[in-house]
Amino acid sequence: MVELGLKLAFSLAQIVTVMTIILTTVAILTLVERKVLGWMQDRMGPMEVGPYGILQPLADGLKLFFKEDIIPAGANKFLFSLAPVLSLIAALIGFAVIPFGPNRTIELFGYEFKPFVISDLNIGILYILAFTSIGAYGIILGGWASNSKYSLLGGLRSAAQVISYELNVGLAIVGVLLLAGSLSLVSITEAQSGGFWNWYVFALPFPQIFAFVVYVIAAVAETNRLPFDLPEAESELVAGFFTEYSGMRFAFFFMAEYANMILVSCIAAILFLGGWHAPYPGTLLPEQVAWIEGVVWFAVKVYFFIFLFFWLRATLPRLRYDQLMRFGWKVLLPIALGNIVVTSIMAFLFPGGR
Amino acid sequence: MKVSLNRVKSWIKTITFYEIVVGMLATMRHLLRYKPITVQYPHERRTLPDNYRGMLALLRYDDGTEKCVGCDLCEAACPSRVIRVLSAEVPGEPTKRYAKEYYMDMTRCLFCGMCVEACPVDALGMTREFEWAVYDKRNLHLNKEQLLAIGDRSYPTREKRVEFQHPNVAFFNVAFKNLPQKSS
Repeated sequence: MVELGLKLAFSLAQIVTVMTIILTTVAILTLVERKVLGWMQDRMGPMEVGPYGILQPLADGLKLFFKEDIIPAGANKFLFSLAPVLSLIAALIGFAVIPFGPNRTIELFGYEFKPFVISDLNIGILYILAFTSIGAYGIILGGWASNSKYSLLGGLRSAAQVISYELNVGLAIVGVLLLAGSLSLVSITEAQSGGFWNWYVFALPFPQIFAFVVYVIAAVAETNRLPFDLPEAESELVAGFFTEYSGMRFAFFFMAEYANMILVSCIAAILFLGGWHAPYPGTLLPEQVAWIEGVVWFAVKVYFFIFLFFWLRATLPRLRYDQLMRFGWKVLLPIALGNIVVTSIMAFLFPGGR
Repeated sequence: MKVSLNRVKSWIKTITFYEIVVGMLATMRHLLRYKPITVQYPHERRTLPDNYRGMLALLRYDDGTEKCVGCDLCEAACPSRVIRVLSAEVPGEPTKRYAKEYYMDMTRCLFCGMCVEACPVDALGMTREFEWAVYDKRNLHLNKEQLLAIGDRSYPTREKRVEFQHPNVAFFNVAFKNLPQKSS
């Protein structure tokens, strides 16, 4: 009983910490995205609120919080209010299995805890895939329940897009899973220790570079970011599936998009770039504080991916709908499938890798 | 089967994302050499050019009398029918006329400057004022006093009366810029 209570308390503390960090990061990212986009387009980005506009997320949050919450006439009220919650929960719940730092245990009151991962599920990656699929329901239901043509079109687009690109995400991951022989994100990361040549992008017997490229492209499409932001194409569909949303419900969709971005970046860093492992073997810091290095490397990798998302957004125009579908089914899918075939053959010929 | 070199080249470009990489390098170059062209407007203002076509104004001579002779040419020249002039004789001087009432509906004005071009006595001027946002658009329906006030604050140096500008135009109301050159 005491053990259960302690474990519950520790898990709750972890959840609160992770949620705080993620939501703060989301708030910061909204500012960083606008700033980076502005700088890349020879603009300044937000400059008014606070010095150099650094308090902009606060102002945005306050504005959204105090805005009137409108439910359009003819909307399905239950689904309309369910959709944003559904997509935010699906985006946030995936962080439960993400290892943010080295897989070490600490002892508290005689019991062992893992401080850097909330729950080391042995089917971690499947769990994440399952919940990101539920996130698609949030978008589709939100689009349908709004009783608006633009929302419906955005929802339909996202239905087709998210489902077809989720397939590519799943298939791109399979190669890594074959090499690692595990679905747990912690074991996958631990299999990549000892220098960047052991990361699955570069690792022998078969570097997963193709799977990596497929994964990154499909991840951009899955999070509805430019150049694949057809569900919310603002020049075509006003705002897509959240056209009719305002106030905190809109903020939920917004946070879900950014949380999804962080989640997808975390997965890319864990599966392909060795998670918390540094590009050199071992750690530089002494044993006691080596976890700092791990966490920092993990953060660096995640932020690199997030920056890549902004960078792509500043560079590329939106794809046409048929281009999107053709690219997903005729280009990415064969590459991912071929990667699986070659990887499984190589994994069979050189068991144990390296 | 013949495979032309160009096709191979374009295929290699496609699989290496050549075009996307070039585009991303361009955006990255702008990020690294960050030179914003934004003007933070209420805090810093750009210097307007001399021929800036801003708010219209009625002008006065240096003795404080209105330049306008009420000829209606601006009303005729205006493509948007902004201007309405009610002309009348100057009391006591039967040969001279002036604008008894002068209205401008600035909601319609497109700042083409044709009224300024048309004016034979340079009574109209375009100022460099542009901050004329109002809550009630009836505030943009200006009368003669308001237009003269704009002219007073935007043109502090006034011209002399036409009669004193040049001996040739002692009794002839033509624009200053159209004066014939005096032979010397």
